[in-house]
Amino acid sequence: MRRIAFLWIGLTAFCIALGAAAAFETRASRIQAIKTVGIVSAIGEEISLTRAGLTGLGEAAQSSSISAWGLDELIVQQATRLLSGRFRVQPVTYRRAAFAAIRDSVVAPVNLLRSDPFKELVRSDVTPQGLDAYIVITRARSKLGNGRNIEGVGLAEYRTLLADYGLIHALYEVRVIDGKSFDVIDKRAAAPLDNTGTVRVGGPSGQVDGPFEKAGSSEGLRAAIADLIVRSLPLTLGDMHLIDDP
Amino acid sequence: MTRLREAAPRLTVNARLTTSLLAALGAIVTIPQSASAQTAFTLPAPPFELPMLPSASGNWTVMVGIGGEYRPEFAGSNNGKFLPIPIFSIRRSGSIEQFRGPRDSASIALLDVGNFRAGPAFKYVDSRKSDKYSELTGLGNVDAAYELGGFVEYYLVDWLRLRSELRQGMGGHTGTVADVSADVIVPLIQRLTISAGPRFTWKSTNAVAPYFGVDAVQALASGLPRYDARGGAHSVGFGSQISYRINPQWEVHAYVEYEKLLGDTADSPLVKLRGSSNQTTVGVGASYSFDFRIR
Repeated sequence: MRRIAFLWIGLTAFCIALGAAAAFETRASRIQAIKTVGIVSAIGEEISLTRAGLTGLGEAAQSSSISAWGLDELIVQQATRLLSGRFRVQPVTYRRAAFAAIRDSVVAPVNLLRSDPFKELVRSDVTPQGLDAYIVITRARSKLGNGRNIEGVGLAEYRTLLADYGLIHALYEVRVIDGKSFDVIDKRAAAPLDNTGTVRVGGPSGQVDGPFEKAGSSEGLRAAIADLIVRSLPLTLGDMHLIDDP
Repeated sequence: MTRLREAAPRLTVNARLTTSLLAALGAIVTIPQSASAQTAFTLPAPPFELPMLPSASGNWTVMVGIGGEYRPEFAGSNNGKFLPIPIFSIRRSGSIEQFRGPRDSASIALLDVGNFRAGPAFKYVDSRKSDKYSELTGLGNVDAAYELGGFVEYYLVDWLRLRSELRQGMGGHTGTVADVSADVIVPLIQRLTISAGPRFTWKSTNAVAPYFGVDAVQALASGLPRYDARGGAHSVGFGSQISYRINPQWEVHAYVEYEKLLGDTADSPLVKLRGSSNQTTVGVGASYSFDFRIR
Protein backbone atom coordinates (compact mmCIF):
# COMPACT_ATOMS: atom_id res chain seq x y z
CA MET A 1 0.00 0.00 0.00
CA ARG A 2 2.79 2.37 1.00
CA ARG A 3 4.71 1.43 -2.16
CA ILE A 4 1.72 2.36 -4.32
CA ALA A 5 1.42 5.69 -2.52
CA PHE A 6 5.10 6.42 -3.17
CA LEU A 7 4.63 5.48 -6.81
CA TRP A 8 1.74 7.89 -7.16
CA ILE A 9 3.73 10.66 -5.45
CA GLY A 10 6.69 10.02 -7.75
CA LEU A 11 4.48 9.98 -10.83
CA THR A 12 2.81 13.23 -9.80
CA ALA A 13 6.18 14.90 -9.17
CA PHE A 14 7.41 13.71 -12.56
CA CYS A 15 4.34 15.11 -14.31
CA ILE A 16 4.71 18.46 -12.52
CA ALA A 17 8.40 18.63 -13.47
CA LEU A 18 7.61 17.71 -17.05
CA GLY A 19 4.87 20.32 -17.27
CA ALA A 20 7.11 22.92 -15.70
CA ALA A 21 9.93 22.11 -18.10
CA ALA A 22 7.48 22.43 -20.97
CA ALA A 23 6.39 25.82 -19.65
CA PHE A 24 9.98 27.02 -19.48
CA GLU A 25 10.56 25.86 -23.00
CA THR A 26 7.52 27.77 -24.08
CA ARG A 27 8.63 31.05 -22.48
CA ALA A 28 12.24 30.74 -23.63
CA SER A 29 11.31 29.63 -27.11
CA ARG A 30 8.73 32.39 -27.44
CA ILE A 31 11.36 35.00 -26.66
CA GLN A 32 13.79 33.25 -29.00
CA ALA A 33 11.25 33.45 -31.80
CA ILE A 34 10.77 37.21 -31.50
CA LYS A 35 12.27 39.19 -34.36
CA THR A 36 10.41 42.52 -34.37
CA VAL A 37 9.36 44.51 -31.33
CA GLY A 38 7.65 47.80 -30.59
CA ILE A 39 8.24 49.72 -27.38
CA VAL A 40 5.52 51.42 -25.34
CA SER A 41 6.43 53.60 -22.36
CA ALA A 42 3.99 55.35 -20.05
CA ILE A 43 5.58 56.17 -16.71
CA GLY A 44 6.76 59.74 -17.04
CA GLU A 45 3.75 62.04 -17.21
CA GLU A 46 3.50 62.77 -13.50
CA ILE A 47 5.75 63.06 -10.50
CA SER A 48 4.40 62.30 -7.05
CA LEU A 49 5.44 63.93 -3.80
CA THR A 50 4.90 61.64 -0.82
CA ARG A 51 5.67 61.95 2.86
CA ALA A 52 5.92 58.97 5.21
CA GLY A 53 7.18 58.19 8.69
CA LEU A 54 6.27 60.76 11.33
CA THR A 55 3.67 62.60 9.32
CA GLY A 56 0.58 64.52 10.34
CA LEU A 57 -3.01 63.54 9.69
CA GLY A 58 -4.20 64.05 6.14
CA GLU A 59 -0.81 64.51 4.51
CA ALA A 60 -1.86 62.94 1.24
CA ALA A 61 0.49 62.50 -1.67
CA GLN A 62 0.55 65.27 -4.26
CA SER A 63 1.43 65.06 -7.90
CA SER A 64 2.36 67.40 -10.69
CA SER A 65 2.87 67.09 -14.40
CA ILE A 66 6.34 66.45 -15.79
CA SER A 67 5.38 65.58 -19.34
CA ALA A 68 7.83 68.24 -20.53
CA TRP A 69 10.70 66.18 -19.12
CA GLY A 70 10.36 63.65 -21.91
CA LEU A 71 11.08 60.64 -19.70
CA ASP A 72 9.04 58.26 -21.81
CA GLU A 73 10.89 59.35 -24.93
CA LEU A 74 14.13 58.72 -23.05
CA ILE A 75 12.97 55.23 -22.02
CA VAL A 76 11.96 54.33 -25.57
CA GLN A 77 15.30 55.64 -26.83
CA GLN A 78 17.28 53.70 -24.24
CA ALA A 79 15.29 50.50 -24.67
CA THR A 80 15.62 50.77 -28.44
CA ARG A 81 19.38 51.09 -28.11
CA LEU A 82 19.60 48.12 -25.77
CA LEU A 83 17.27 45.84 -27.71
CA SER A 84 18.53 46.69 -31.17
CA GLY A 85 21.39 44.24 -30.84
CA ARG A 86 18.97 41.35 -30.76
CA PHE A 87 15.63 42.54 -32.18
CA ARG A 88 14.48 44.80 -34.95
CA VAL A 89 12.84 47.63 -33.03
CA GLN A 90 10.08 49.45 -34.87
CA PRO A 91 8.54 52.75 -33.75
CA VAL A 92 4.94 52.49 -32.58
CA THR A 93 2.23 55.01 -31.76
CA TYR A 94 -0.16 54.72 -28.85
CA ARG A 95 -2.19 56.82 -26.43
CA ARG A 96 0.20 57.22 -23.53
CA ALA A 97 -2.52 58.45 -21.17
CA ALA A 98 -4.52 55.26 -21.71
CA PHE A 99 -1.57 53.11 -20.65
CA ALA A 100 -0.75 55.39 -17.72
CA ALA A 101 -4.33 55.25 -16.44
CA ILE A 102 -4.32 51.49 -15.78
CA ARG A 103 -3.82 50.52 -12.15
CA ASP A 104 -3.45 47.17 -10.42
CA SER A 105 -6.40 46.10 -8.31
CA VAL A 106 -5.90 46.58 -4.57
CA VAL A 107 -7.19 43.02 -4.13
CA ALA A 108 -4.12 40.98 -4.98
CA PRO A 109 -5.88 37.79 -6.19
CA VAL A 110 -7.82 39.84 -8.73
CA ASN A 111 -4.56 40.69 -10.47
CA LEU A 112 -3.73 37.01 -10.72
CA LEU A 113 -7.13 35.92 -11.94
CA ARG A 114 -8.13 38.68 -14.32
CA SER A 115 -6.76 39.08 -17.79
CA ASP A 116 -3.85 41.50 -17.91
CA PRO A 117 -5.43 44.86 -18.85
CA PHE A 118 -2.44 45.85 -20.97
CA LYS A 119 -3.08 42.98 -23.38
CA GLU A 120 -6.31 44.51 -24.60
CA LEU A 121 -4.79 47.96 -24.78
CA VAL A 122 -1.90 46.74 -26.92
CA ARG A 123 -4.39 45.02 -29.21
CA SER A 124 -6.65 48.05 -29.56
CA ASP A 125 -4.37 51.03 -29.13
CA VAL A 126 -0.93 50.35 -30.57
CA THR A 127 -0.09 50.77 -34.21
CA PRO A 128 1.26 49.13 -36.20
CA GLN A 129 -0.12 45.74 -35.25
CA GLY A 130 1.53 42.54 -36.34
CA LEU A 131 4.93 42.88 -34.72
CA ASP A 132 6.23 39.76 -33.00
CA ALA A 133 6.10 41.37 -29.55
CA TYR A 134 5.52 44.63 -27.73
CA ILE A 135 7.63 45.76 -24.80
CA VAL A 136 5.34 47.71 -22.48
CA ILE A 137 6.89 49.81 -19.71
CA THR A 138 4.50 51.18 -17.11
CA ARG A 139 4.46 52.37 -13.51
CA ALA A 140 5.12 49.97 -10.66
CA ARG A 141 4.17 50.38 -7.03
CA SER A 142 6.05 50.01 -3.75
CA LYS A 143 5.58 50.61 -0.06
CA LEU A 144 7.21 53.56 1.62
CA GLY A 145 7.19 53.37 5.39
CA ASN A 146 4.18 51.48 6.70
CA GLY A 147 1.02 53.00 5.35
CA ARG A 148 2.04 54.73 2.13
CA ASN A 149 2.16 53.43 -1.41
CA ILE A 150 4.34 55.14 -3.97
CA GLU A 151 4.43 54.48 -7.68
CA GLY A 152 6.12 55.60 -10.85
CA VAL A 153 8.33 58.64 -10.78
CA GLY A 154 8.41 60.57 -7.58
CA LEU A 155 10.08 62.31 -4.75
CA ALA A 156 9.53 61.02 -1.24
CA GLU A 157 10.41 62.19 2.21
CA TYR A 158 10.70 59.87 5.18
CA ARG A 159 10.43 61.76 8.45
CA THR A 160 11.85 60.42 11.67
CA LEU A 161 12.18 62.00 15.08
CA LEU A 162 15.79 63.00 14.61
CA ALA A 163 16.30 63.27 10.88
CA ASP A 164 14.46 63.53 7.57
CA TYR A 165 15.47 61.52 4.54
CA GLY A 166 14.62 62.33 0.95
CA LEU A 167 14.71 60.04 -2.03
CA ILE A 168 13.78 59.98 -5.66
CA HIS A 169 12.31 56.91 -7.27
CA ALA A 170 11.55 55.60 -10.72
CA LEU A 171 9.42 52.50 -10.20
CA TYR A 172 8.41 50.71 -13.35
CA GLU A 173 7.62 47.28 -14.68
CA VAL A 174 8.25 45.75 -18.06
CA ARG A 175 5.93 43.40 -19.92
CA VAL A 176 6.69 41.42 -23.02
CA ILE A 177 3.40 40.94 -24.84
CA ASP A 178 3.07 38.55 -27.74
CA GLY A 179 2.16 40.46 -30.89
CA LYS A 180 -0.13 37.74 -32.23
CA SER A 181 -1.88 36.17 -29.25
CA PHE A 182 -1.37 39.19 -26.95
CA ASP A 183 -0.39 36.88 -24.10
CA VAL A 184 1.99 38.31 -21.53
CA ILE A 185 5.16 36.32 -22.16
CA ASP A 186 7.01 37.85 -19.22
CA LYS A 187 6.56 40.62 -16.70
CA ARG A 188 9.16 42.08 -14.35
CA ALA A 189 9.36 45.08 -12.02
CA ALA A 190 12.67 46.93 -12.06
CA ALA A 191 14.65 45.97 -8.97
CA PRO A 192 16.50 48.38 -6.67
CA LEU A 193 19.89 49.36 -8.03
CA ASP A 194 21.55 48.42 -4.74
CA ASN A 195 20.61 47.79 -1.15
CA THR A 196 22.75 50.46 0.42
CA GLY A 197 20.05 53.09 0.79
CA THR A 198 18.94 54.23 4.21
CA VAL A 199 15.33 54.34 3.04
CA ARG A 200 14.35 51.32 1.02
CA VAL A 201 11.75 51.12 -1.70
CA GLY A 202 10.97 48.31 -4.07
CA GLY A 203 12.62 49.69 -7.19
CA PRO A 204 15.27 52.04 -8.53
CA SER A 205 15.79 54.91 -6.12
CA GLY A 206 18.45 57.28 -4.88
CA GLN A 207 18.81 59.62 -1.96
CA VAL A 208 18.23 63.29 -2.43
CA ASP A 209 19.33 66.36 -0.57
CA GLY A 210 17.43 69.51 -1.27
CA PRO A 211 14.23 71.46 -0.83
CA PHE A 212 11.35 69.00 -1.13
CA GLU A 213 8.72 71.46 -2.32
CA LYS A 214 10.72 72.92 -5.19
CA ALA A 215 12.14 69.70 -6.49
CA GLY A 216 9.51 69.26 -9.21
CA SER A 217 10.93 72.13 -11.23
CA SER A 218 14.54 71.17 -10.87
CA GLU A 219 16.59 70.16 -13.87
CA GLY A 220 18.87 68.33 -11.46
CA LEU A 221 15.97 66.20 -10.34
CA ARG A 222 15.10 65.34 -13.93
CA ALA A 223 18.70 64.34 -14.56
CA ALA A 224 18.77 62.18 -11.45
CA ILE A 225 15.53 60.37 -12.39
CA ALA A 226 16.86 59.85 -15.90
CA ASP A 227 20.04 58.42 -14.41
CA LEU A 228 18.01 55.89 -12.37
CA ILE A 229 16.21 54.79 -15.52
CA VAL A 230 19.33 54.61 -17.65
CA ARG A 231 21.14 52.51 -15.04
CA SER A 232 18.27 50.19 -14.18
CA LEU A 233 16.86 49.46 -17.63
CA PRO A 234 19.75 47.22 -18.80
CA LEU A 235 19.53 45.23 -15.56
CA THR A 236 15.80 44.73 -15.89
CA LEU A 237 15.93 43.74 -19.55
CA GLY A 238 18.87 41.46 -18.73
CA ASP A 239 16.89 39.75 -15.97
CA MET A 240 14.17 39.11 -18.54
CA HIS A 241 16.75 37.59 -20.91
CA LEU A 242 15.89 40.20 -23.53
CA ILE A 243 19.51 41.34 -23.69
CA ASP A 244 22.74 39.72 -22.64
CA ASP A 245 23.69 40.39 -19.03
CA PRO A 246 25.08 43.94 -18.81
CA MET B 1 19.05 73.87 -6.61
CA THR B 2 18.49 70.33 -5.65
CA ARG B 3 21.65 68.52 -4.79
CA LEU B 4 21.71 64.81 -5.12
CA ARG B 5 23.80 62.34 -3.30
CA GLU B 6 23.86 58.58 -3.34
CA ALA B 7 25.58 58.08 -0.04
CA ALA B 8 24.50 60.30 2.76
CA PRO B 9 21.06 61.26 3.98
CA ARG B 10 20.07 64.80 4.69
CA LEU B 11 20.16 65.26 8.39
CA THR B 12 18.59 67.98 10.38
CA VAL B 13 20.36 69.77 13.17
CA ASN B 14 19.11 67.16 15.59
CA ALA B 15 21.01 64.54 13.69
CA ARG B 16 24.04 65.19 15.84
CA LEU B 17 22.13 63.30 18.53
CA THR B 18 21.63 60.54 16.02
CA THR B 19 25.31 60.39 15.31
CA SER B 20 26.10 60.09 18.99
CA LEU B 21 23.50 57.35 19.38
CA LEU B 22 24.82 55.45 16.42
CA ALA B 23 28.35 55.75 17.71
CA ALA B 24 27.24 54.33 21.04
CA LEU B 25 25.43 51.44 19.39
CA GLY B 26 28.37 50.88 17.09
CA ALA B 27 30.63 50.58 20.09
CA ILE B 28 28.37 47.92 21.56
CA VAL B 29 28.03 45.86 18.41
CA THR B 30 31.13 45.84 16.25
CA ILE B 31 30.36 43.99 13.08
CA PRO B 32 32.25 44.38 9.82
CA GLN B 33 30.34 46.31 7.19
CA SER B 34 30.87 44.84 3.79
CA ALA B 35 30.13 46.38 0.46
CA SER B 36 26.48 45.72 -0.10
CA ALA B 37 25.73 46.67 -3.66
CA GLN B 38 27.12 43.36 -4.88
CA THR B 39 25.28 40.09 -4.81
CA ALA B 40 26.94 37.35 -2.79
CA PHE B 41 26.83 34.84 -5.61
CA THR B 42 25.08 34.07 -8.87
CA LEU B 43 23.16 30.91 -9.63
CA PRO B 44 22.31 29.63 -13.09
CA ALA B 45 18.71 29.88 -14.23
CA PRO B 46 16.61 26.90 -13.09
CA PRO B 47 16.03 24.26 -15.77
CA PHE B 48 12.30 24.86 -15.64
CA GLU B 49 9.77 27.48 -14.63
CA LEU B 50 6.32 26.97 -13.22
CA PRO B 51 3.36 27.99 -15.31
CA MET B 52 1.52 31.17 -14.18
CA LEU B 53 4.44 32.22 -12.01
CA PRO B 54 7.02 34.86 -12.92
CA SER B 55 10.52 33.82 -13.87
CA ALA B 56 12.97 33.31 -10.99
CA SER B 57 15.66 35.35 -12.74
CA GLY B 58 16.86 38.43 -10.91
CA ASN B 59 18.10 39.37 -7.47
CA TRP B 60 16.84 37.71 -4.31
CA THR B 61 17.37 38.62 -0.67
CA VAL B 62 17.90 35.92 1.94
CA MET B 63 17.64 36.73 5.63
CA VAL B 64 19.02 34.28 8.19
CA GLY B 65 19.31 34.79 11.89
CA ILE B 66 18.71 33.53 15.34
CA GLY B 67 16.55 34.80 18.11
CA GLY B 68 15.53 33.75 21.55
CA GLU B 69 12.37 34.17 23.55
CA TYR B 70 11.83 33.87 27.27
CA ARG B 71 8.16 33.19 27.85
CA PRO B 72 5.83 31.42 30.28
CA GLU B 73 6.21 27.65 30.28
CA PHE B 74 2.51 27.36 29.50
CA ALA B 75 -0.43 29.76 29.44
CA GLY B 76 -0.93 30.89 33.03
CA SER B 77 2.42 29.64 34.27
CA ASN B 78 4.44 31.45 36.89
CA ASN B 79 7.73 30.17 35.46
CA GLY B 80 9.47 30.97 32.24
CA LYS B 81 11.42 29.03 29.67
CA PHE B 82 13.86 30.08 26.98
CA LEU B 83 13.26 29.06 23.39
CA PRO B 84 15.64 29.61 20.48
CA ILE B 85 13.87 30.92 17.39
CA PRO B 86 15.42 30.56 13.94
CA ILE B 87 14.91 33.46 11.55
CA PHE B 88 14.76 32.76 7.84
CA SER B 89 13.12 34.47 4.91
CA ILE B 90 13.67 34.69 1.19
CA ARG B 91 12.12 37.34 -0.99
CA ARG B 92 12.72 39.10 -4.26
CA SER B 93 15.07 42.04 -3.73
CA GLY B 94 13.20 45.25 -3.36
CA SER B 95 10.11 43.87 -1.68
CA ILE B 96 9.71 45.91 1.45
CA GLU B 97 9.40 44.52 4.94
CA GLN B 98 6.33 45.82 6.71
CA PHE B 99 6.12 46.61 10.42
CA ARG B 100 5.28 43.48 12.34
CA GLY B 101 4.40 43.08 15.99
CA PRO B 102 5.70 40.11 18.00
CA ARG B 103 2.15 38.91 18.67
CA ASP B 104 1.01 39.15 15.07
CA SER B 105 -0.04 35.90 13.46
CA ALA B 106 1.44 34.83 10.18
CA SER B 107 -0.63 36.68 7.61
CA ILE B 108 -0.86 37.64 3.96
CA ALA B 109 -2.34 40.96 2.85
CA LEU B 110 -4.62 40.09 -0.03
CA LEU B 111 -6.23 43.52 0.13
CA ASP B 112 -3.78 46.41 0.28
CA VAL B 113 -4.79 49.99 -0.33
CA GLY B 114 -1.79 51.55 1.34
CA ASN B 115 -3.05 52.40 4.80
CA PHE B 116 -5.58 49.55 4.99
CA ARG B 117 -4.65 45.91 4.64
CA ALA B 118 -6.58 42.70 5.15
CA GLY B 119 -6.16 39.02 4.51
CA PRO B 120 -5.95 35.55 6.02
CA ALA B 121 -4.05 34.90 9.26
CA PHE B 122 -2.73 31.74 10.85
CA LYS B 123 -1.33 30.95 14.28
CA TYR B 124 0.12 27.77 15.67
CA VAL B 125 -0.43 27.12 19.38
CA ASP B 126 1.97 24.59 20.83
CA SER B 127 0.70 21.48 22.57
CA ARG B 128 0.68 21.29 26.38
CA LYS B 129 2.07 18.13 27.87
CA SER B 130 1.05 17.54 31.45
CA ASP B 131 4.11 15.45 32.25
CA LYS B 132 6.52 18.27 31.38
CA TYR B 133 5.60 20.55 34.29
CA SER B 134 4.64 19.55 37.80
CA GLU B 135 1.91 22.22 37.95
CA LEU B 136 0.06 20.36 35.18
CA THR B 137 0.12 16.94 36.79
CA GLY B 138 -3.26 15.32 36.40
CA LEU B 139 -4.63 17.89 33.99
CA GLY B 140 -4.06 15.85 30.85
CA ASN B 141 -2.49 16.84 27.56
CA VAL B 142 -3.79 19.48 25.17
CA ASP B 143 -2.92 18.88 21.53
CA ALA B 144 -1.39 21.53 19.33
CA ALA B 145 -3.98 23.94 17.96
CA TYR B 146 -4.13 25.57 14.56
CA GLU B 147 -5.92 28.89 14.46
CA LEU B 148 -7.07 30.06 11.05
CA GLY B 149 -8.85 33.32 10.35
CA GLY B 150 -8.26 36.80 9.08
CA PHE B 151 -6.78 40.14 9.98
CA VAL B 152 -7.42 43.78 9.24
CA GLU B 153 -5.03 46.58 9.96
CA TYR B 154 -5.36 50.28 9.45
CA TYR B 155 -2.73 52.98 9.59
CA LEU B 156 -4.46 56.09 10.82
CA VAL B 157 -1.15 57.80 10.07
CA ASP B 158 2.11 56.19 9.04
CA TRP B 159 3.16 55.82 12.70
CA LEU B 160 -0.05 54.46 14.23
CA ARG B 161 -1.21 50.96 13.42
CA LEU B 162 -4.51 49.47 14.56
CA ARG B 163 -4.79 45.74 14.01
CA SER B 164 -7.39 43.13 14.69
CA GLU B 165 -7.40 39.39 14.13
CA LEU B 166 -10.22 36.88 14.34
CA ARG B 167 -9.25 33.22 14.28
CA GLN B 168 -11.01 29.89 14.66
CA GLY B 169 -9.13 27.12 16.41
CA MET B 170 -8.78 23.52 15.27
CA GLY B 171 -7.11 20.64 17.05
CA GLY B 172 -6.18 21.42 20.66
CA HIS B 173 -9.01 23.89 20.99
CA THR B 174 -12.02 24.61 18.81
CA GLY B 175 -12.85 28.08 20.04
CA THR B 176 -12.72 31.58 18.59
CA VAL B 177 -9.97 34.06 19.38
CA ALA B 178 -10.02 37.80 18.73
CA ASP B 179 -6.94 40.00 19.14
CA VAL B 180 -6.97 43.79 19.04
CA SER B 181 -3.82 45.86 19.23
CA ALA B 182 -2.52 49.34 18.60
CA ASP B 183 1.10 50.25 17.95
CA VAL B 184 2.69 53.65 17.89
CA ILE B 185 5.71 53.25 15.62
CA VAL B 186 8.33 55.93 16.11
CA PRO B 187 11.33 55.95 13.78
CA LEU B 188 13.99 57.78 15.78
CA ILE B 189 16.13 57.63 12.71
CA GLN B 190 15.37 55.50 9.70
CA ARG B 191 17.45 52.61 11.04
CA LEU B 192 16.22 52.74 14.61
CA THR B 193 12.54 52.22 15.30
CA ILE B 194 10.71 51.92 18.58
CA SER B 195 7.11 50.81 18.83
CA ALA B 196 4.71 50.26 21.67
CA GLY B 197 1.03 49.88 22.33
CA PRO B 198 -1.82 48.18 24.16
CA ARG B 199 -3.25 44.74 23.43
CA PHE B 200 -6.54 43.03 24.18
CA THR B 201 -7.62 39.44 23.60
CA TRP B 202 -11.07 37.88 23.72
CA LYS B 203 -11.58 34.13 23.64
CA SER B 204 -14.67 31.95 23.47
CA THR B 205 -15.36 29.17 25.96
CA ASN B 206 -14.05 26.48 23.63
CA ALA B 207 -10.77 28.39 23.31
CA VAL B 208 -10.11 28.66 27.06
CA ALA B 209 -11.70 25.54 28.54
CA PRO B 210 -8.99 23.07 27.41
CA TYR B 211 -6.27 25.19 29.02
CA PHE B 212 -7.93 26.67 32.09
CA GLY B 213 -10.87 24.39 32.91
CA VAL B 214 -10.60 21.54 35.41
CA ASP B 215 -13.12 18.72 35.00
CA ALA B 216 -14.06 16.19 37.64
CA VAL B 217 -11.46 13.61 36.63
CA GLN B 218 -8.73 16.25 36.40
CA ALA B 219 -9.77 17.62 39.78
CA LEU B 220 -9.29 14.20 41.35
CA ALA B 221 -5.96 13.64 39.60
CA SER B 222 -4.51 17.09 40.14
CA GLY B 223 -5.86 18.13 43.50
CA LEU B 224 -7.22 21.32 42.02
CA PRO B 225 -10.89 22.24 42.50
CA ARG B 226 -13.28 21.56 39.65
CA TYR B 227 -13.64 24.64 37.46
CA ASP B 228 -15.61 25.58 34.34
CA ALA B 229 -13.69 28.21 32.41
CA ARG B 230 -15.98 30.29 30.23
CA GLY B 231 -15.11 32.62 27.42
CA GLY B 232 -14.92 36.38 27.50
CA ALA B 233 -12.23 39.00 27.93
CA HIS B 234 -9.07 36.93 28.13
CA SER B 235 -6.28 39.43 28.65
CA VAL B 236 -5.12 42.99 28.36
CA GLY B 237 -1.53 43.91 27.90
CA PHE B 238 1.16 46.11 26.58
CA GLY B 239 3.95 45.43 24.16
CA SER B 240 7.01 47.24 22.96
CA GLN B 241 9.81 46.49 20.54
CA ILE B 242 12.94 48.13 19.25
CA SER B 243 14.73 47.31 16.03
CA TYR B 244 18.00 48.67 14.76
CA ARG B 245 19.42 48.13 11.30
CA ILE B 246 23.16 48.32 11.85
CA ASN B 247 23.85 48.31 8.14
CA PRO B 248 22.04 46.96 5.09
CA GLN B 249 23.00 43.42 6.13
CA TRP B 250 22.66 43.30 9.90
CA GLU B 251 19.57 43.96 11.95
CA VAL B 252 18.99 43.44 15.67
CA HIS B 253 15.73 43.63 17.57
CA ALA B 254 14.30 43.13 21.03
CA TYR B 255 10.78 43.11 22.39
CA VAL B 256 8.74 42.68 25.52
CA GLU B 257 5.08 41.71 25.74
CA TYR B 258 3.17 41.85 29.01
CA GLU B 259 -0.24 40.26 29.39
CA LYS B 260 -2.60 40.39 32.37
CA LEU B 261 -5.05 37.51 32.33
CA LEU B 262 -8.65 38.46 33.02
CA GLY B 263 -12.01 36.98 33.90
CA ASP B 264 -12.47 33.23 34.04
CA THR B 265 -8.95 32.68 32.82
CA ALA B 266 -7.44 34.62 35.70
CA ASP B 267 -9.80 32.92 38.14
CA SER B 268 -8.82 29.42 37.03
CA PRO B 269 -7.32 27.40 39.90
CA LEU B 270 -4.40 26.56 37.64
CA VAL B 271 -3.59 30.28 37.48
CA LYS B 272 -4.63 31.24 41.01
CA LEU B 273 -3.09 28.34 42.89
CA ARG B 274 -0.21 27.22 40.70
CA GLY B 275 0.50 30.03 38.29
CA SER B 276 0.18 33.73 37.75
CA SER B 277 -2.09 36.07 35.86
CA ASN B 278 0.94 38.16 34.90
CA GLN B 279 2.44 36.80 31.72
CA THR B 280 5.60 38.35 30.30
CA THR B 281 7.49 37.44 27.15
CA VAL B 282 10.87 38.89 26.28
CA GLY B 283 12.66 38.28 23.01
CA VAL B 284 15.82 39.26 21.19
CA GLY B 285 17.14 38.44 17.76
CA ALA B 286 19.73 39.24 15.14
CA SER B 287 19.58 38.62 11.42
CA TYR B 288 21.89 38.90 8.45
CA SER B 289 20.65 39.59 4.93
CA PHE B 290 22.45 39.00 1.68
CA ASP B 291 21.52 39.12 -1.96
CA PHE B 292 22.09 36.50 -4.59
CA ARG B 293 21.26 36.52 -8.22
CA ILE B 294 19.62 33.99 -10.48
CA ARG B 295 20.79 34.40 -14.03
